[in-house]
Amino acid sequence: MTHKYWLFMIALLMTLGLAVAPGATTHAADNSTTLKVGMEANNAPFNWTQTSKANGAVKIDGASGYANGYDVQMAKQIAKQIGKRLVVVKMSWNGLQPALTSGKIDAIIAGMSPTPERRKAIDFTSTYYKTKLTIIVRKNSQYAKATSLKDFKGAKITAQLNTYEYDAIDQIQGVEKQSAMDDFSAMRVALTSGVIDGYIGEIPEGITAATDNKALSYINFSQQNGFKVSADESDLAIGVRKGSTLTGGINQELAKISQAKRNRLMKWAVAHLPATSSEDGNWFTTLLKQYGGMLLQGAGMTLLISLVGTVVGFLIGLLAGIIRTIPRPSTAGKRGLRALANWLIAIYIEVFRGTPMIVQAAVVYYGAAQAFGLNMNRTLAALIIVSINTGAYISEIIRGGITAVDAGQFEAAHALGFTHLQTMLKVVLPQAIRNSLPAVTNEFIVNIKDTSVLSVISVSELFFSAETVAGQNFQFFHTYLVVSGMYLIMTFAISRLFRLVEKHMAGPISYNLAENH
Amino acid sequence: MTEPIIEVQNLKKVFGDHEVLTDINLTVNAGEIVSIIGRSGSGKSTLLRNINLLEQPTSGDILFHGNSVLAPDFDITHYRAKAGMVFQSFNLFNNLTVLENVVTPQVTVLKRDPAEAKQHALELLNTVNMDPFINAKPDQLSGGQKQRVAIARAEAMDPEVLLFDEPTSALDPEMVDDVLAAMSNLAHTGLTMIIVTHEMAFARDISDRVVFMNDGVIAEEGTPEQIFNAPHEEVTQAFLKRYLNRA
Repeated sequence: MTHKYWLFMIALLMTLGLAVAPGATTHAADNSTTLKVGMEANNAPFNWTQTSKANGAVKIDGASGYANGYDVQMAKQIAKQIGKRLVVVKMSWNGLQPALTSGKIDAIIAGMSPTPERRKAIDFTSTYYKTKLTIIVRKNSQYAKATSLKDFKGAKITAQLNTYEYDAIDQIQGVEKQSAMDDFSAMRVALTSGVIDGYIGEIPEGITAATDNKALSYINFSQQNGFKVSADESDLAIGVRKGSTLTGGINQELAKISQAKRNRLMKWAVAHLPATSSEDGNWFTTLLKQYGGMLLQGAGMTLLISLVGTVVGFLIGLLAGIIRTIPRPSTAGKRGLRALANWLIAIYIEVFRGTPMIVQAAVVYYGAAQAFGLNMNRTLAALIIVSINTGAYISEIIRGGITAVDAGQFEAAHALGFTHLQTMLKVVLPQAIRNSLPAVTNEFIVNIKDTSVLSVISVSELFFSAETVAGQNFQFFHTYLVVSGMYLIMTFAISRLFRLVEKHMAGPISYNLAENH
Repeated sequence: MTEPIIEVQNLKKVFGDHEVLTDINLTVNAGEIVSIIGRSGSGKSTLLRNINLLEQPTSGDILFHGNSVLAPDFDITHYRAKAGMVFQSFNLFNNLTVLENVVTPQVTVLKRDPAEAKQHALELLNTVNMDPFINAKPDQLSGGQKQRVAIARAEAMDPEVLLFDEPTSALDPEMVDDVLAAMSNLAHTGLTMIIVTHEMAFARDISDRVVFMNDGVIAEEGTPEQIFNAPHEEVTQAFLKRYLNRA
């Protein structure tokens, strides 16, 4: 490797970085006939996922399941009033803001409070729900009878990552602040199992937790003994893009919905939470009956993405193999072209092998939308990312397979008058593929497992579905146990299948003598 | 037949600092059988590989029917189909059966109809006694069997010239005869043959002309009688003496 080569690579990466850097936001979506609302669909009673469209639930865009809850009902009303069709997009909490600024969604209605930090990046409408902080505790613990923050001295307390609830922990004197957790379902499990003594949430979460789990309760602090929070934080508002034309219309509608109406809606939401799994009967059959369809759809998506990714990646690898073995042409022009092609392939491989797929996914999906206004379908983005990523690895695998083919095979083909392409297709690649097949199988299996990182762009593959299910039934161990079984079945089936293909390619051990004529 | 088919003119080949061929001039006439003998490392194989353009000549020229094969507009693919090569290490296509090894090049390069190509292949495999093995893969054959298939494969292209690069050097002694017999059957059928070999008796019997190479140049050439019975040059005498003593 020459110095020049590396300098070029670094320059290219920096150019790419600069191209993506300006945070140009897209406004086009605001004029469309749909209102795309982002939420976790995993933050009851504000928003949750259920398996049927009962109680006015809304189909989740591009995934299985229906969303319902306070936020969904609120979004329905607003969309209807401003004359747009509501589309609910399910995504992780940390994906909400980039999705909004990159134009993947038009509004965030997800129980989000308009903190000053958030206001720097996005705009907020007026309040759509006013809340108060509480601490959710175990009923049988010493903290159940607490009335003031002072009573939580020495308690192990946590809250959700990147929220003002987590910052509020510091208001409790002498508290043992625990690391933040991802969502309420995880915190409830941590609380029931005794890992923590309590977690901070808003009153609705307290009501829901106590309704769901008889072992839990929440503390209703009085004004002076509770958390001191600014209106920015306790008031939940709807997030929209900076300077969005939607703000005015939404604020008009919000003004028409009184506080009493809001409280009634919240009570309704808590009352209509999807039933958590009943204790009667085998947990396994209950889980399958309730969520089997969702998990199977997730597995199907995982299989689709890794299959297409591996096949397309394989084709990319073969193409790279053909180009990289082109013999040195006699004219200078063609030599230059060949050198350029080899360079581009080398850069492609280094870049995509050298960065994590989760980062590539975020750059391609959110970055492309933010920088170039390129709004890609999530599944399509996932297919492209996995294909390109796999292609980089398989290119190297095929290169190894070609190197292992005897040079005499090339010579014999050339001496018979085969062109380079004919040599590769008829003689070299069939042997190189056979050499590379075990490593390609490996890539396929890695893909089955690694598609789970695509949950960052909210692709509803198996892991994303598993998170949803666990968030609903709170049976983390059981759900993930079933899901690991599903992963294992897929990977095992693939490794067996490819073993058969390898055997077939090796041909029969013995041959039959043809009859003498 | 005195029409020249291949003319090598002032051919020079350098690998890095090492000059393998210094200045080769050789004319081969259509239908002629020419054997090239000489020590290992004297440049025999390199000469053959240059004629087939598996190596690019450093300088000099090679003419086929009077046309330079190095000219930019020369159809190399067609030339290679007309000038076949048989290798020391056989180089059968490992992914193909015996029959496919002989059929595929005809179909791919000559665009021959597959049925016709198969018919042709079966006839040729029959003449080298390899027809019972048409379904075998190269891995399942002995060296002598592989080389006979390789000869049939080269023949199937209906070449005007066949280049043999030490075709028996990698074989066990008992397999050599079958391969030499297959080559003898081809001689004097109008096919031009250039054979690099260490089989002196075979070279003497089959050749119209024998070329002795030493250190990258042609040291001596003549009829088999001249070279083997009355060599002029000392190097030729020394080389042949060693071979005859060994025999």
